[in-house]
Amino acid sequence: MNGVDGVKAAVVLFVAAILQVSIFTQVHVLGGVPDLLLVMLVAVALLRGSMFGAIGGFFAGLLVDTATLGQLGLTSLVLTIAGYWIGRYGETTGRDRAHAPFLSVAVVTFLYSFGLLLVHFVLGERAPAGSVTRGLLPAIVLNLILTAPVYALVRRLLRPLDRGDYATEVQLLG
Amino acid sequence: MVRRGVLAVLVIGALALLTISFRSPTSGALHDVQGYGASALRPFEVAAQRVARPFRDAYGYFDGLAHAKSENAKLRSEVRQWRTQATQYEAQAGKTQDLEKLLRVERGAKYPTDFRFVNTSVISFPLGAFAQQITIAAGSDQGLRINTPIIDGDGLLGHVVVVGPTTASVQLITDPDSNVPARDVTNGVRGLIRHGAGNTLLFDNVPKEQTVQKGDVIVTQGTVDRRYPDLYPFGIGIGRVLQVGTSDIASYLTVQVMPFARFDSLDSVAALISTKQR
Repeated sequence: MNGVDGVKAAVVLFVAAILQVSIFTQVHVLGGVPDLLLVMLVAVALLRGSMFGAIGGFFAGLLVDTATLGQLGLTSLVLTIAGYWIGRYGETTGRDRAHAPFLSVAVVTFLYSFGLLLVHFVLGERAPAGSVTRGLLPAIVLNLILTAPVYALVRRLLRPLDRGDYATEVQLLG
Repeated sequence: MVRRGVLAVLVIGALALLTISFRSPTSGALHDVQGYGASALRPFEVAAQRVARPFRDAYGYFDGLAHAKSENAKLRSEVRQWRTQATQYEAQAGKTQDLEKLLRVERGAKYPTDFRFVNTSVISFPLGAFAQQITIAAGSDQGLRINTPIIDGDGLLGHVVVVGPTTASVQLITDPDSNVPARDVTNGVRGLIRHGAGNTLLFDNVPKEQTVQKGDVIVTQGTVDRRYPDLYPFGIGIGRVLQVGTSDIASYLTVQVMPFARFDSLDSVAALISTKQR
């Protein structure tokens, strides 16, 4: 891990955030909207761990909230937790597993949707659980379609770490 | 240990931003910084839009071709109908102006003569199911303020809710929190436009005794009493009545309206800046 990786991760997340707010939010398929930014964050977090995931999620969320003049911190909060959690999975049980990106994207899409719903609900804003639930399955499918090319691209940019660079707090068996 | 510390700092930072932003959503230092940040991001969003436009246009072209024939016949029939109605309305408008002068009616700014149009493009679209808001590439530098009405070539879109120097956030009339005082121009019935099922709107608060018919045109009500000025001037087209329903237990009619504006393919919009002195 070095500063170059940080710059590369920042650039891909910046581009993903811009594409998400200006293009991908217009793509509606059966009520679902693909989330390029979330898939990109999952790929970065899986390949570079929880610190990259959390910091990347925070700044990517900040970009989205700034670009849309939305409530600052709202998207950051949910993406920070999502990035950290996926990063931990990548550092421990998810490493070297081919299905890890797909499993992570499916789970994180679900948790991210309901995480946003929860934050809106806590803030006393409109929290349309029915609408979110209806769009969830198409959104998961769309995100899974994006996963393979996005993960391959990020993997080219951020080479997988050596074993010694991973977390040492969790011992793998087998 | 370090990573948990970083996570805690980021979460606390996000919560702090959220708290400040929630307490003062339209003013304050953080809002100003956000406005400048949005201005800095605007060129990237505009560039992304330009890259995507040929693909959107190609999709729109082929989608349009599929429905062109049936739509052409429908539009021809509508043009015939509108031509007749336009002549009638023109005659009535002349009479109305004379009567307004006679009665010294206070109506606020007149649409479209008392407004200057700031044409701009949409740079971001509604994020998820939580709010129906778009971001446009014009802000306070171009004369936009909070509550400035926004239209497209077909009809009313909404009004500005957050404004930065070169960008603004617009709450669409399809947002569940939006209420637009409106009028059925055919029958003179007043009501409120709210979001409805799917892509439609609801013309609400219309008593059952009133008459609203399928095909009626709904426009903004405008200011009725100058002590309570409306956000929108009178006469901006909102949509056409699609269906009218009633039930024995309901006090109001259920009037479904198909909006004129095409919310699923927003590209260019115009902000209405009043040129009338207040």
